Amino acid sequence: MTKNKSELLYNQLSKTRFQIIAPLLFITILGYFIFIGVIAFSPSIFGQLITGLNISIGILLGFLLILLIFFITLIYVYLANKKLQPLIEKIKND
Amino acid sequence: MIEFFIENIAISMFIIFVGLTLYITYWASKRTKTAKSFYTAGGEITGFQNGLAISGDFMSAASFLGISGLVYLTGFDGLIYSIGFLVGWPIILLLIAEPLRNLGKYSFADVASFRLKQKPIRLLAACGSLFTVILYLIAQMVGAGKLIEILFGLPYYAAVLIVGGLMILYVTFGGMLATTWVQIIKAVLLLFGASLISILVLSKFDFNLNLFFIEATNIHSNGIDILAPGGLISDPISAISLGLALMFGTAGLPHILMRFFTVKDAVQARKSVVYATGFIGYFYILTFIIGFGAIILVSQNPLYLDDLGGLIGKNNMAAIHLAHAVGGEVLLGFISAVAFATILAVVSGLTLAGASAISHDLYANVFNHNKTNEKKEMQVSKIATIALGLLAIFLGIIFESQNVAFMVGLAFAIAASTNFPILLLSIYWKNLTTRGAVIGGSAGLLTAIILVILGPVVWVDVFNNSQPIFPYKYPALFSMSITFFGIWFFSINDKSKEANQVKSKFKAQFFRSQTGIGIDKAIKH
Repeated sequence: MTKNKSELLYNQLSKTRFQIIAPLLFITILGYFIFIGVIAFSPSIFGQLITGLNISIGILLGFLLILLIFFITLIYVYLANKKLQPLIEKIKND
Repeated sequence: MIEFFIENIAISMFIIFVGLTLYITYWASKRTKTAKSFYTAGGEITGFQNGLAISGDFMSAASFLGISGLVYLTGFDGLIYSIGFLVGWPIILLLIAEPLRNLGKYSFADVASFRLKQKPIRLLAACGSLFTVILYLIAQMVGAGKLIEILFGLPYYAAVLIVGGLMILYVTFGGMLATTWVQIIKAVLLLFGASLISILVLSKFDFNLNLFFIEATNIHSNGIDILAPGGLISDPISAISLGLALMFGTAGLPHILMRFFTVKDAVQARKSVVYATGFIGYFYILTFIIGFGAIILVSQNPLYLDDLGGLIGKNNMAAIHLAHAVGGEVLLGFISAVAFATILAVVSGLTLAGASAISHDLYANVFNHNKTNEKKEMQVSKIATIALGLLAIFLGIIFESQNVAFMVGLAFAIAASTNFPILLLSIYWKNLTTRGAVIGGSAGLLTAIILVILGPVVWVDVFNNSQPIFPYKYPALFSMSITFFGIWFFSINDKSKEANQVKSKFKAQFFRSQTGIGIDKAIKH
């Protein structure tokens, strides 16, 4: 491959990586600070019970946030292996 | 023999664990001949194994007993810590893990000094690492001594000596390979034990979470309020400050960062974070169930209460008592042995990270620049291991009756205010200069320490003053701001020749951090 082509691949890698990382990072930080923010500014929201159950909204959302955090790592690795790794291998073979 | 085993199940289980781990150490010692194998287990740990080991580093006795104890005491508030500890993982995965693996060799200072000037940066990184490690070590040692005193009836100093002694053996002879396998075995045991307790608790409610929480709110004196945020965080500044320390502190803990050098490449590094996040998240859900289970099954049972109506051994024993309540002597013995094993595994990882800061960063690259070889460096790291082990024993005994609750919090604040910003900006910010990193990083380190000393947890709780000089418990919002501002300000105003050199090396470094190309070439400083 020519020098130019590997430079194009590298640019594509940087761009793709940014497109994958930015939204995931944004969701992580936003989700967490909304959670902490509610606790700091308006804790009573989290104290409300889910209709018909003796489980609070805070506990439900806390558990969901744990799941979300796990799924973010899962999604990143899935996308990185599928979209980034082939580009990295191509650049390496150059 | 069998009778002894049944009567002394905790001690028997513990002896089996120690026997097994010492055998692993012997096995590992034959494979630990080079500095690379000592620091990184030869880079041959798989992503899955590393994920387990990382989760083991995180599931310390403090987080197992401490968080379940906090849930037992306050209900919902325990979840704030769990989620804070967990949310650091996507940050590490998305921003740090792969560049760290692609640029570094043994410690995160390798990455920070990739283009910056070796001596000052390594000196600062080593200070940040050692502060974090030693504060963490003291908290673990004191906790260990007290826990073992209660569980096994051993005197405090004997417990501290046993922990310190075994840890020195594991790390000195078995290096990272033994430390990793001790951590993996313990992680599996702890996940199994915590799962078993949770299943036994929930089985009493036919696995109906609603009935489970109804029973807990009926029993707890705060009733329905335990399902809502309580007084752990009362003002927005504290909330944001604690949030920042937990979220970014994880990405600056040297014993966690070091684990990314034990895998083959960035692909495995990535994988290990997914496994680790899964295990840790699952574990925190279990600690929540265990805390609530203890409210139901322990808080009203006279067997577990002292004369004043509190838990025997205080709130951190909630999980231990619950093990007895649902599984009798056998499960109590098993969980006690696992708690002991947990402490051993965590202090070993911490000590290895501290030893590598001393030998790899300070000795080999600061004080003895270019005059050392790998063999000498490994000798120094073994001496450093023994010295750190003795120091941990010594400090563990000195701090026996001190309040050490602030130490882990301070360790996270320092990690978030010094280690993390330097690592992050050295990977991603082209205009970072040595002067900026050193001034900003040191300022953040000092700010974190000073604000904790002047704040409520030390100024009031330790020094017994009536009013804190600095009103907030958590300094990270202030110390991190100072670090980032300091680094930015002194970098952009750095017009030295060296600054231009550093900037000119960024493009090549970034290429390598993103692709891993050039990683096989020996890094010679």
